[in-house]
Amino acid sequence: MDPRNAIEIRHMSKTFRTYKDKQKTLKERLTRRRGDVIENTVLDDISLDIKKGETVALIGTNGSGKSTLLKLMTKILYPNKGTIETQGKLTSLLELGAGFHPDFTGRENIYFNAAVFGLNREEIDKRIDDIIEFSELGPFIDEPVRTYSSGMYMRLAFSVAINVDAEILLIDEILAVGDQHFQNKCFDKLEELRDSEKTIVIVSHSLGMVKILCSRAVWIYKGKLRLDGDPTYVISKYLEQSAIDNKEEVKKAAEDQEAVPRGAVFIDSPVAFQSVSNQEDLKINGWAVSNSENEVVEVLFDDKPVTDIHRSVRSDVFRAYEEDYAGFIDEATVGYIATIPKEELVNGSHHLEAIVRDGKTKRQIDRRSIRIKVDDNPVSAEDDKKG
Amino acid sequence: MKSIREFYEYRELLKTNVRKDIRGRYKGSFLGVLWTFLTPLLQVLVYYIVFPYLMAGGMPNFLVYLITGIFPWNFFQTSIVGATGCIKANEGVVKKVYFPRKILVLSQILSGLVNYFISIPIMLIFCVVFHIPLTWNVLWLPVIGLVEALFIYGCGLILAAINVYVQDVANIVQFLLNLAFYGTPIVYSLSLFPSKNILAVMIRLNPLTMIVDMTRAVTMDGILPSFTQMGIVFALGVVITVFGTWVFDKLQKGFAEEL
Repeated sequence: MDPRNAIEIRHMSKTFRTYKDKQKTLKERLTRRRGDVIENTVLDDISLDIKKGETVALIGTNGSGKSTLLKLMTKILYPNKGTIETQGKLTSLLELGAGFHPDFTGRENIYFNAAVFGLNREEIDKRIDDIIEFSELGPFIDEPVRTYSSGMYMRLAFSVAINVDAEILLIDEILAVGDQHFQNKCFDKLEELRDSEKTIVIVSHSLGMVKILCSRAVWIYKGKLRLDGDPTYVISKYLEQSAIDNKEEVKKAAEDQEAVPRGAVFIDSPVAFQSVSNQEDLKINGWAVSNSENEVVEVLFDDKPVTDIHRSVRSDVFRAYEEDYAGFIDEATVGYIATIPKEELVNGSHHLEAIVRDGKTKRQIDRRSIRIKVDDNPVSAEDDKKG
Repeated sequence: MKSIREFYEYRELLKTNVRKDIRGRYKGSFLGVLWTFLTPLLQVLVYYIVFPYLMAGGMPNFLVYLITGIFPWNFFQTSIVGATGCIKANEGVVKKVYFPRKILVLSQILSGLVNYFISIPIMLIFCVVFHIPLTWNVLWLPVIGLVEALFIYGCGLILAAINVYVQDVANIVQFLLNLAFYGTPIVYSLSLFPSKNILAVMIRLNPLTMIVDMTRAVTMDGILPSFTQMGIVFALGVVITVFGTWVFDKLQKGFAEEL
């Protein structure tokens, strides 16, 4: 193995065997017929070098094999063909909370959990203050873990995993831990680790994060290594392919007469039960996404269609959905703005509804409806909260 | 060799596992860890009440005879049951983290060994109470425990690994343990059998018989343990451990997929 490499993969393939029924007892094993075994190649002839100090993202659609690849790197799974070698102490953040025992306190569990990662007592003693501080659990650290909320549990688990000081860090979609504040903290910590000679491999669907954090992206497509290079380029190619695949899938589904278009529509403002003024035109802001070509958005005010409606730019929404709906949505037309002239605003309670429809079949994909109130001197939402 | 180095690297995991096992098992119960020793003692009480009626002609110090049989047996039984299920019981960790899997088996045996060591003074107290003169030969008890541990470890490796693939193993083990209990002179004496009896010969070949024999030799009889028996059990332990390591290494690659 090249000493500059942290991970070396050579012509590696992984096949899962699935049985039509999971056979676990002796009788079933002995009487198993050949035809019942289904072989499923998840990874096919992968060769890859990851150098020490690199931060690499593995991207690909669900089921493309990227999580399996991560598990192979951790040596939880073993390849059927080829080799996979690692060099240096390795931690994987797939196993948040592995080895936690609910009856023991947070502090005791730090020792258990860190021991699973192969740390000895002195090494844990040295890090325990950092871990507790990072977890922000404060006095709860000496309470049994079973009394923790799920957020506290994950925070503790993440704090241990990220503080074990491994040379290679494998991360599977974990930046969904805790609240925004804690997520930012995790992200900062990852940036710090990236800049400190650690090797990091991340599996992620947040492509924006990948672009900021990683120096290299590896795209796994249907079990094969498709593209390897600068994140921005690889991601754009990946999205292109996803767009083609999504369209084909929809086309195929349509041919099979089972096309169930999916999508979502939302009303950002006004919010439900808000009081609006009859002194000015009412602007309705929202967005809609779907995998239907030429989708149509309708806004109904008391079941009457609003005529003044146009699509608008919504970069935030586009970023959130660009992978899921690749090929169907456009940054410039994700949002919509509908306007109801003030003349039509009669005092009282009203029904506001937004619907996204398939362009061809006019079938409804998603709808959202809220009630709002119109009066002369509306109380704004902020004042309402203060009151 | 590689596994010994890994055991050293992961020694903290081994320690915490043993601690968790000893302390966690009876956590929440009023008498806690004491149950580890109360259970076999209560078992002895039952045999002590029932067996003199079943077997004509009493035996001197039958109570001590039972106790010096039950503790080595209890070590064997608890550890074998624990080891057989240990990979399955830790499914969550095994599927998610890499660590030497044999640690799970080893920590079962080590926590059994710790309990066995604690039971040594209990055995000695009963000897003293029933006026059995103790000699320095009782210092062999820990050695006998270690030899037994090696033997159990080898068996445990094989059973734990196979149990992941074939769930019936746990049930078969239950049956075999039942058989082994009566195939070991714990509640009866081998002198009850005619010496050429085929059953008696088989019982004598049982490694557990040798372990129980040695335990009684150094406590009740106050003599040296039979080094022939010691050698046989030790050699058997080495062979089974080598074989068990080979089997375990073969099978462990599929653990995460099978669980």
